[in-house]
Amino acid sequence: MSVPATDRTANNEHTAHTVESLSSWLADRIALYLKRTPSEISPTVPLAEYGLDSVAALSLCGDIEEDFDLVLEPTVAWDYPTVEALAGHLVEELGEMGGENR
Amino acid sequence: MLSDPAVQGLHGDAAPNGAAPATDPAAHRAAEDAVRARIADLESRFGDPQDPANPLGAAGLLAADEAGELPAAGERLLDDLVLNAEFVPTDLGGRLDRLDTLVRVMRQVFRRDVALGLGYGITSFMAAVNVWTAGSEEQRRRTAELLLGGSKVSVAYHELPHGNDFVRNEFRADPVPGGFRLNGRKEVINNADRADAYALFSRTDDSPGSRSHSVLLVERDQLDTERFAVLPRYNAVGVRGCRLSGLDFTDCPVPDSTLVGARGQGVELALRSFQITRSAIPSMAVGALDTSLRTVVRFALGRELYRRSVMEIPHASATLTGAFLDLLICDSMATVGTRAVHLLPDETSVYAAAVKYLVPKMLTDTMYDLSIVLGARFYVREGEFGLFQKHVRDLPVLSLGHAGSAACQATIIPQLSRLARRAWFSGDEAPQSLFRPREALPGIPFDRLALASGRDSLSASLVAAADDLPSGSPEELAVQALVMRLLDQLRQIQEDSLNLSPQDRTALASPASFALADRYAVFLAAASVLGVWRGAQGGDDPFLADPAWVAAALHRLARRLGQRPADLPPGCEARVHEEVLRRFHERRSYDLYDTPLAG
Repeated sequence: MSVPATDRTANNEHTAHTVESLSSWLADRIALYLKRTPSEISPTVPLAEYGLDSVAALSLCGDIEEDFDLVLEPTVAWDYPTVEALAGHLVEELGEMGGENR
Repeated sequence: MLSDPAVQGLHGDAAPNGAAPATDPAAHRAAEDAVRARIADLESRFGDPQDPANPLGAAGLLAADEAGELPAAGERLLDDLVLNAEFVPTDLGGRLDRLDTLVRVMRQVFRRDVALGLGYGITSFMAAVNVWTAGSEEQRRRTAELLLGGSKVSVAYHELPHGNDFVRNEFRADPVPGGFRLNGRKEVINNADRADAYALFSRTDDSPGSRSHSVLLVERDQLDTERFAVLPRYNAVGVRGCRLSGLDFTDCPVPDSTLVGARGQGVELALRSFQITRSAIPSMAVGALDTSLRTVVRFALGRELYRRSVMEIPHASATLTGAFLDLLICDSMATVGTRAVHLLPDETSVYAAAVKYLVPKMLTDTMYDLSIVLGARFYVREGEFGLFQKHVRDLPVLSLGHAGSAACQATIIPQLSRLARRAWFSGDEAPQSLFRPREALPGIPFDRLALASGRDSLSASLVAAADDLPSGSPEELAVQALVMRLLDQLRQIQEDSLNLSPQDRTALASPASFALADRYAVFLAAASVLGVWRGAQGGDDPFLADPAWVAAALHRLARRLGQRPADLPPGCEARVHEEVLRRFHERRSYDLYDTPLAG
């Protein structure tokens, strides 16, 4: 359910992404939204429990789009509510996109 | 669920949406004639607003308001006309095929009485939109049947402790075998005491977040009367005739068939439904400003001060001209918002939020400006000008409700950086039809409204127009100069959007983010105004095609953005003022439609 964006930005080496690398990217980013440190963000706790509101969740989708050149449905952070789930989903999406492009 | 077309809408290079509808010109003319006839019929049944014996004239409406009732004659009239059919799609036996038509019909009601418009009907529409968007065939059929039979449906989202933060709502519908068990209260709900069905926004999962709520459509007859109660009525400052109360459920069982859409889809469904109601309802309320402007024009022409009529006092005259311009700005923006639902469904999340944010605010501000001309009369509750203070009290209700101003800004804020990166100064312009009131439209794509957009064809239309503006007359040159300023403004909005910090892209963003959303909404209003003027070229409305009003309207918006544009050529205000008087004397509405009125 993703489509590649038209303009290429940074971070488009799809093959390099793993659940671990994406989890760490997400924790860094989410920490910025929540004014916490990345180490405080557990990969298995729902982001809403940390107080990540629906507005921030949509902004997060925009960040993913910018850094990974991947357009997501705005509901993605609702359907994959933890760092771990979201990272797993992104790996799949990025993998599919890489496959399509080659 | 999000459908594929909505996702495709995020492509920067996708084909423009909204293929031309398959109606031929003769069929379109016949449809437009039928709408005009419906509006004229409604207006003539409402009768002369100045007649003290008319229960639906100013005096009658004020008396009903003082009594805290909706005008009984108004409810009967709307029953006779089966106004509810305006809320039901044509394929289900109703008359709803276009949102702008719904707005035109409802504007006649709001012109008289905001409480009647809201309390008789529009809250039923707000509830029904959920069903049209995600309901089963049976729910759609049944909701249509109820509405066409004259029933009310309440939209029950609100819980006082949570305001617009409805993701935190606590009203529970716990899944049990075969259905749900309802517990909790819904508060300040229109028609809770007399509706035959309720659209209940309910928590169906304990987890935090946006997948824990669902909408249930519950019929009152299905409920165990021992397990639910209607709460006492609230008294409000405005819309006093509206029957605002609440619902209280205790372990009340309802069947599975009450679920609208899928479990957990409630927030998404709400956000989608809002895209329809957020543009349409403020647009209906433009009718209340129309009546208020007419009321103050009557006052200004009739009253003498300093040995001349109030209308000859430059400040008063300029205020009335400004109020007319504000009304045209609001209508341009709201008309674009409602037409965008049909033509640009993947972009309406932003436009609808911008309309719901800016239009009620401008309507309220303009009422304040008008009240200064009315002077002490503004404080009088009865008599010739008493209806004015009623509209002053009634209008703010639009900024409350399900999506307050700040909630609408919060819908815009997270989309700004994406629009800044990929939409502004690069996308395709909107189809011309977006800006042409009355032009044919494709059906309402309830299933194609996207929750977020990466495009902004409305802004692109202003950018594209900038190189192609006429520059013959002083008025045209003024328009051109103002559009250049607006382009600068969009550049500034783009730069500021790209610089938003992560914290400033959350619901707890700093006031600067909210101010940025405000500037963007004002910019969209300007793009709408310019589009309507360009769309009117070669049409049959010489005033809308004249550059005078658009120059004056853009000038007001530029000042609202904190700019100090050069003075307008003197002909501008004179031309707009002349139109204020013409429409007053010829009894025509002050909106884009120039509709004949009963008075």
